[in-house]
Amino acid sequence: MAISTSEHPRTSRPVKPTSRLRTTLWLLVSLIVVAAFWSVKIKWSALADFPAQLLKYIALMLLPPDWSQFGEALNATILSVQMAWMGTVLGIIISFPLSFLASKGLAPRVVNAPLRFIFAVIRAVPEVVIAILILSVTGLTPFTGALALAVGSVGTLGKWGYEAFEGVDPGPKEAVRSTGGGTLALIRWGVWPSAAPDVFSFWLYRFEINVRASAILGLIGAGGIGKMLQDNVQFRNWDAVGMLLLVVIAVTMGIDQVSGAVRNKLIHGTWRAPRLAS
Amino acid sequence: MTGAAVVLLVGITIWAGIGVQVDLPAIAANWRNATANIIQLLQPDYGFFPKTIPALLETLQMAVIATAVGSVVSLPLAFLASRATNPKPGLLTGVRFAMNMIRSVPDILYAAILVAVVGVGALSGIMALVLFNIGIIVKLVSESLDGEDLGAQEAALATGGSWPKANRAAMLPQILPSFASQVLFTFELNIRASTVIGLVGAGGLGILIDNVRSFFRYHELSLIILEILVLVLVLESASSWLRKKLV
Repeated sequence: MAISTSEHPRTSRPVKPTSRLRTTLWLLVSLIVVAAFWSVKIKWSALADFPAQLLKYIALMLLPPDWSQFGEALNATILSVQMAWMGTVLGIIISFPLSFLASKGLAPRVVNAPLRFIFAVIRAVPEVVIAILILSVTGLTPFTGALALAVGSVGTLGKWGYEAFEGVDPGPKEAVRSTGGGTLALIRWGVWPSAAPDVFSFWLYRFEINVRASAILGLIGAGGIGKMLQDNVQFRNWDAVGMLLLVVIAVTMGIDQVSGAVRNKLIHGTWRAPRLAS
Repeated sequence: MTGAAVVLLVGITIWAGIGVQVDLPAIAANWRNATANIIQLLQPDYGFFPKTIPALLETLQMAVIATAVGSVVSLPLAFLASRATNPKPGLLTGVRFAMNMIRSVPDILYAAILVAVVGVGALSGIMALVLFNIGIIVKLVSESLDGEDLGAQEAALATGGSWPKANRAAMLPQILPSFASQVLFTFELNIRASTVIGLVGAGGLGILIDNVRSFFRYHELSLIILEILVLVLVLESASSWLRKKLV
């Protein structure tokens, strides 16, 4: 009675089930991509010269880089890192209490909803635009850049925070409630201990993002990498740009390594990358 | 241990604070300027809208093309950058190092250099975004490859399949849903990034932001912010819906 394959030989492989929705979605996505390629105003012929041009500029930048600019490049990069650090710290201070208030079950709904909306709005606005707004208060200083990064960080840290707080194991929360603990006790003993490693790693991750984002703020006058970039591109000092490029790569990779090691330690050896859905 | 960490963190913060010239009195003295600006910002100049359409479209086109090209290039690279799918330690280290390097350069730096290489306009912006995308997608996808179940791959190798074939048959199907969701996430990032890289001439809304900023035309800036806001919020909800369907 066992199903015998010799009595019913398969002539072909079983057909894969198809989902109509999936097919439609793929068609739609392909259509959008084709439409974008077809409609964009680009002289595709420029691509033919691209390899030669690229080699030429790489040679201009790196063969050799302008070592006399090394000190200035390092200072500019450090200033950007300082901006990123300050922005991250301020962002953490602001977003930390807010993400508890935005978590369902820890604060009333009337408080949750507007905070979540504010986080979403902040996430939609690029940091450079935030900086343009802050400019009129603090002027063209690195502090403006740090404040812009702080506001930008609130959007992502706030969201990652409430997602982590809502996602914790309900067991400890029930235990705190059953012993008569109030909301503060619930946060301290039911939520924070299980969410803490994730939240710490979000902070580190946001710092890595801010290190990269701080470069752009120099373009509007906040100083750092962006300012040095603009000053030298303007006068086509490509060897100085090359020096800056090398320093930025070295410093950023160093920071990523340290931050990765700290994160590894925090999450106890298991390499789990933070959830990146912004 | 904790005490030392706190001292270290406070020390770094003070160092950074001195570096960026934290200036709280300026905030107290000038906050009125901000309120004046915000009042202007709350009154967008809708008459400016027709002038923004070409830049808005270009931003969208750049994001779509860069995401498409970036994801096609990233998929094979992700397999080379994961310990689970690349058996050659030398190649693995090399690819990972190159990827870390690509990821460490800010998108604006790529854009500024590429504007010089291929000229002002969307092409330089797309190329900068592609590099930015490769950095992100390869990292995320290779990390999820590291965490996948290797049973099927081992079986494929045991039957005499080569590594590329075993990866294609056993690992690719496992990774596709997360790949699709990372691509959508990258697309959202691209929309935001493509509004900004125009500041150095790489096409899109950024060029417009640069123009209105230099002349302090806040009513027009406000309309641009509103457009970015609507674009990002709409695409974010569309992509989170799509992600649920695909995964």
